[in-house]
Amino acid sequence: MKCPQFEERLSEYMDRTLPASEMGQVAEHLHECANCSALLEEMRSILLRCRSFPSYEPEIALIERVLLRTTGRPRTRTFRELLDQYFLRPLLTPRFAAGAVLTLMFIGLTFGLFRDRISSATALLSPRELFSQMDRGAQALYSRGLKVYDKKNEWQAQFTFIKNNMLNRLGLMIDQLDVPVEGKKKSGEPRQQQEKNPSGKSSLLLLPT
Amino acid sequence: MLSSDEKLVERCIQGDDTAWEQIVTSYTRRIYNLGYRYTNRRDEAEDLTQEILIRVYQNLKSFRADAGTFQNWILKVGRNLIIDHYRQTRRFQQAAGTEELETMNLKDEKVPSPERTVERDEAARFLREGLEALSPELKEAIILRDIEGMAYLEIAGLLGIPEGTVKSRINRGRLELAKLLSKRRAQLGWQM
Repeated sequence: MKCPQFEERLSEYMDRTLPASEMGQVAEHLHECANCSALLEEMRSILLRCRSFPSYEPEIALIERVLLRTTGRPRTRTFRELLDQYFLRPLLTPRFAAGAVLTLMFIGLTFGLFRDRISSATALLSPRELFSQMDRGAQALYSRGLKVYDKKNEWQAQFTFIKNNMLNRLGLMIDQLDVPVEGKKKSGEPRQQQEKNPSGKSSLLLLPT
Repeated sequence: MLSSDEKLVERCIQGDDTAWEQIVTSYTRRIYNLGYRYTNRRDEAEDLTQEILIRVYQNLKSFRADAGTFQNWILKVGRNLIIDHYRQTRRFQQAAGTEELETMNLKDEKVPSPERTVERDEAARFLREGLEALSPELKEAIILRDIEGMAYLEIAGLLGIPEGTVKSRINRGRLELAKLLSKRRAQLGWQM
């Protein structure tokens, strides 16, 4: 095989698409010809460089321009772009930075002035303190419940006593109404006495002490 | 069955602007880089990308799914406009300086080291200068095959030439480029 014939087959040799017999002839020629061997190496190097040829990213503005000139609508922003456009960019301005610094200074000053109060307030919010407060609250509630229960028992006893007293007095009155007519005159005096001193107790004395 | 691109085209034709936005977002980078490979100028690549996408939007109804994929169609429209641009200017611009490269957004490496960036930019500039010395047909074949990574059949469909001609152009282009760069390296005394 001569050099021009080798050159004609070089790409196919590199792609390994040559028939087996020709592959052997090319390999034989390469073994004999230093120039063709160097040419093959150069070509391999070029192919490698071509495949690693840098690929460039166009500007986003190009897509924007194309869309505006075709559909007339702007590009749909991603969430990150929207966040950047409406939140981060307005915040990251000198005015905002100055405001943020002043706010931080104010907070620092306030904290310095009211440090003791704030520390006691924050201590109240510790889990241990919160638990003990809850415990105290539960105990107070329980004691209040006991007092109410006692009061209820007391009221119940008073009610029972008054009820029984009333029933007794009603019973007595019914007994007096049941006395026969003949005995009315005879028993006038004792009755008057009874009225003056009925059963030895006044109604006031029936009240609980 | 329609591919996702073809469904997007159908939605576009029915007036769905979001579908068009998806197409623009998907293809802008590809078309921009194609334009940049041909022109070597960022401003021209941007103008071409804009013009190509507007042309695509205006001619969406002429896309036929049975004649090939939407990607091939859009690249064909792009390539035709790039060639028209070449005919108007009668030249492909000479390689832009590395200062332009440095201002562009490189996406290949996440955090390239400064040495690596300089080295890569220098290698890219060297290769681009070699490509500029080739005839437009050979340069185009190398760009589409070795830089854009397109298949022979795709290139044949895009350029409207037989697959054998594509292979021949690519082989000639590679050979010329290899000889040219080898010679230039020898002149500069470089070892890359």
